[in-house]
Amino acid sequence: MLKDIRFSLRQLIKQPAFTIIAVLTVALAIGATTAVLSLVNGLLVRPLPYPDSQRLVLLLQHFKSQNLERIPVSPPEFKDYETRSHSFEKLGAFGYTSFNLAAEDRPERIAGATVTSGVLPLLGVSPIKGRFFAPEECMLGRDDVVIISARLWQHRFDSDPQIIGRKLLLNGKSFTVVGVMPANFDFPLQLFNLGSGGQFGGRAEIWKPLAFTDDQMKARYNRSFWIVGRLAPGISAAQAQAEIETINAQMRREHTDNYSQDNSFGGDVFLLQNLAAAGMRPALLILLGAVFLVVLIACANLTTMLLARAAAREREIAIRVALGAGRLRLLKQVFTESVLLSLIGGAAGVLLALWGVELLKTIGAQTVPRLREVNLDLVVLGVTLAICVGTGIIFGLAPGLASSRPELTEALKEGSRGSTVGKRRNRLRNGLVIAEVALALVLLSGAGLLIKSFARLQNVNPGFNPRNALTFEISLPKMQYPDDSSIVRFNDEARRRIAALPGVQAAGFSTILPLAGTNSDSSFAIEGRASDKNTPSPDEELREVSPDYFRALGTPLIKGRFFTAGDKADAPPVIIINQAFAKKFWPNEDALGKRIVMGGMSDNPKWITIVGIVGDMRHFGLDIDPKPEMYVPFAQSAYSTAIYVVRSNQDAQVLLAAIRREIQAIDPAVPLANVRSFENLIADSVAPRRLSVVLLGVFAGVAVLLAGVGIYGVMSFLVVQRTHELGVRMALGAQRGDVLKLVLIRSLKLISAGTIIGLIIAVMSTHTLRAMLYSVSAFDVVTFVLVTVLLGGIALAASFLPAMRATRADPMVVLTAE
Amino acid sequence: MIKLRRLERRYSLGKEKFFYVLRDINLDIAEGEFVSVMGPSGAGKSTLLHILGMHDHGWQGEYSLNDTAIHHLKPKERATLRNEQIGFVFQQYHLLDDLTVYENLEIPLSYRHYSKSERAALVADTLDRFQIVGKKDLYPRQLSGGQQQLVGVARAIIAEPKLLLADEPTGNLHSSQGEEIMELFRKLNDEGMTIVQVTHSDKSASYGKRVIQLRDGWIVNE
Repeated sequence: MLKDIRFSLRQLIKQPAFTIIAVLTVALAIGATTAVLSLVNGLLVRPLPYPDSQRLVLLLQHFKSQNLERIPVSPPEFKDYETRSHSFEKLGAFGYTSFNLAAEDRPERIAGATVTSGVLPLLGVSPIKGRFFAPEECMLGRDDVVIISARLWQHRFDSDPQIIGRKLLLNGKSFTVVGVMPANFDFPLQLFNLGSGGQFGGRAEIWKPLAFTDDQMKARYNRSFWIVGRLAPGISAAQAQAEIETINAQMRREHTDNYSQDNSFGGDVFLLQNLAAAGMRPALLILLGAVFLVVLIACANLTTMLLARAAAREREIAIRVALGAGRLRLLKQVFTESVLLSLIGGAAGVLLALWGVELLKTIGAQTVPRLREVNLDLVVLGVTLAICVGTGIIFGLAPGLASSRPELTEALKEGSRGSTVGKRRNRLRNGLVIAEVALALVLLSGAGLLIKSFARLQNVNPGFNPRNALTFEISLPKMQYPDDSSIVRFNDEARRRIAALPGVQAAGFSTILPLAGTNSDSSFAIEGRASDKNTPSPDEELREVSPDYFRALGTPLIKGRFFTAGDKADAPPVIIINQAFAKKFWPNEDALGKRIVMGGMSDNPKWITIVGIVGDMRHFGLDIDPKPEMYVPFAQSAYSTAIYVVRSNQDAQVLLAAIRREIQAIDPAVPLANVRSFENLIADSVAPRRLSVVLLGVFAGVAVLLAGVGIYGVMSFLVVQRTHELGVRMALGAQRGDVLKLVLIRSLKLISAGTIIGLIIAVMSTHTLRAMLYSVSAFDVVTFVLVTVLLGGIALAASFLPAMRATRADPMVVLTAE
Repeated sequence: MIKLRRLERRYSLGKEKFFYVLRDINLDIAEGEFVSVMGPSGAGKSTLLHILGMHDHGWQGEYSLNDTAIHHLKPKERATLRNEQIGFVFQQYHLLDDLTVYENLEIPLSYRHYSKSERAALVADTLDRFQIVGKKDLYPRQLSGGQQQLVGVARAIIAEPKLLLADEPTGNLHSSQGEEIMELFRKLNDEGMTIVQVTHSDKSASYGKRVIQLRDGWIVNE
């Protein structure tokens, strides 16, 4: 074996050009495969970072009649589920939050979560210091304790050994640290992408007990908490689902005021692992298919290269056979060489993949769930090794068989040419080129469709102008800003100061930004329209916004007016709606001046008058059509967190220092958080899609490159093989153009055959991309034509060099050689 | 028809040293002649033939074909002239293995811009003339050496060249097949075709009207 390896290495060193091309071919294919395997392993296969995570579930609700899905639950509903269910070992509720952590230099905004006492224990990860929350700490007045992450402990508290018991000033109130969770502990995971976590929610670093107020415990309509649970041993998610449905039916019976009596309301039990994978699963499976095609193309390429080498070494092998070498011995030699090539290329591929995965993390770690967990672990390396050995054997197969069955008499005869075996191998070579072109076209079609779709998405009008707009969050601590008026006063002053800064065109704020991954909605009733208990009230998106918010966003006023400083808390309630809202509820009327009431109709409704209609905005994604939206003045419905939008006549980022100064001038303890440009916000909103486009684009590029190299190799071999024929033709009157045409037509035939087969496969398979396409048909003719022309052009260019070489065939040399 | 003056073919051996294959060749061949070029191996016979056939362009001197000064022509112009006036027969036949007899005959016509119908007519005529109609669908490997050379000659004259160049046309054939080919040459010459053949065989040379002896690149005897 060692002897075979030594001999193979010598052969590879002897032909450096061949070796380099072969190793690069394997490296590209294995690199792509390893990178995608790492993604699949990290995002789909590898369990979530909690012990026995297959039993963890998330419990969400839906109201189908109002198109509300995967919505959170209210505290009384959580208590119902917790006390009545038996399918769960434990259930816990949690919510997203953030804290202003006071510090000597500058206050810092830290992402966090509120959790009931059961949440952290049920996840199965223990604190590295201290303890979990006690049940009594989840009661109002005793909830002044926190658990912090080891990350925060290390970077903010210098790994203080006395951290347990230390007091932290959070949102202006003192909390005692009772525990430190491990550095790699993550909860809630980004993958939940629910509620106010969204894309703005960084990794939680502080956990605080979730203590429900009496009011919260009475409000079944106030759904703002999420439920996580661990299934009891032996209970499946389906069994738990059945039990939840029974409890839901009980709730419907017991609280007829809160639930319609149809099947609109319900709860859904999702396995956490499935929920985590759901978003990326289709894209990853497509990418897995794509790298499989790349590997096939690489195998086809290497087979043709090794076949050409086998042909060149036919005499050497024939001599070996004549001297007594057995078939098995020859096969072993060829396989040693092909597997060795594959392993060397594979090693280079793993290095490429390491670099590629790091690159992917920088592209999408903030926006693609669990991407930061992705790495090349032993499982991936093991599979990669198996693929390397497998591909080495596959692409060594045809050359191996060819070498082990040499036509002795033909091969040993000087100047022999044109044997049947040669024709058989030519057919195989042609077949491989056709296959390469076909596979490359399939990949290129897919990539083409995704790129076109992505380009269309980038050109979608989001309903606002993202250029030169800066956004950041300000969260006011309840201790210092206990009521609406103090919150409104702070934000009015902040907005006034920011708007006065040189370069600022408009400044406004809202509770929820478009495309940021967060949302809120409210049911309402329309004046003059009958409603009864059995018909659910309409429910649409609701945001609280300041004057000038729309100007800062660049969203047009269609009719009526924007909010003004006069729309105060004590002013008549007003509301602005978007065009989609007006069209949905007043399709043939003017919505302006109409009145609605939030929540359901009551005996003494608080009417809100529609004073303006603004343009539609894409809130949930550039690829999702605008939905009806309502906007109420922030002053009439204040929240402690406001998200600012500042439009300037220059790059808004340069204003940041001045804005920070103005905020600190009002209250030095209030930090700015989640500072980003609106353009970044949009880029992040399409990050998972961009990741797929980039990856599939790269793979298609690799496929085309490999197909080009393959065609070049085969045509070069063909030209060498046909030197005699070309010489004769030239002697008989063929001019250079004729020879060029001859070779190119031969190549064109292979390319055409590959293209036709590729197009058929592409048309049959691109429907799998449908879910990932926006505004582009899976059978987009323009894309198919363009990629065909592109691939055909590249393939012809790859044939052109050998064809040019063919025209230099000297008939005299050829004809006098014998 | 052919006029060669001070024609030389040499290969550089480095530093102004040359190896001469042909030296100071002065030769006139009239239209309708049947010339045999003879001489030992390495005398320059085939080189001379390939220069006449305009496959070789690396010579010095003057070469006129039917009053056209070849030495002033560019390679592309030479190729056009060659296609119009010259046919070539090889010792190794050089039929294309993957083409049938019919297709092999068609090749020279396809490079001379004959239309499809003209090609079909000429190939049919030639097959008839050489009495190989029955073999038109056979591949070269299915023919004997003599039959292959017959096809080779047919292919050389199908485009009706004025000059036929033959490089040892009978070198690979046994005597009766060789005689058959030479008879064919004589017949073509009688019909007015100018023929220049390279041969080692006195018998083949005897079919010609004139013999040129080459030795070490020089014409030594005529």
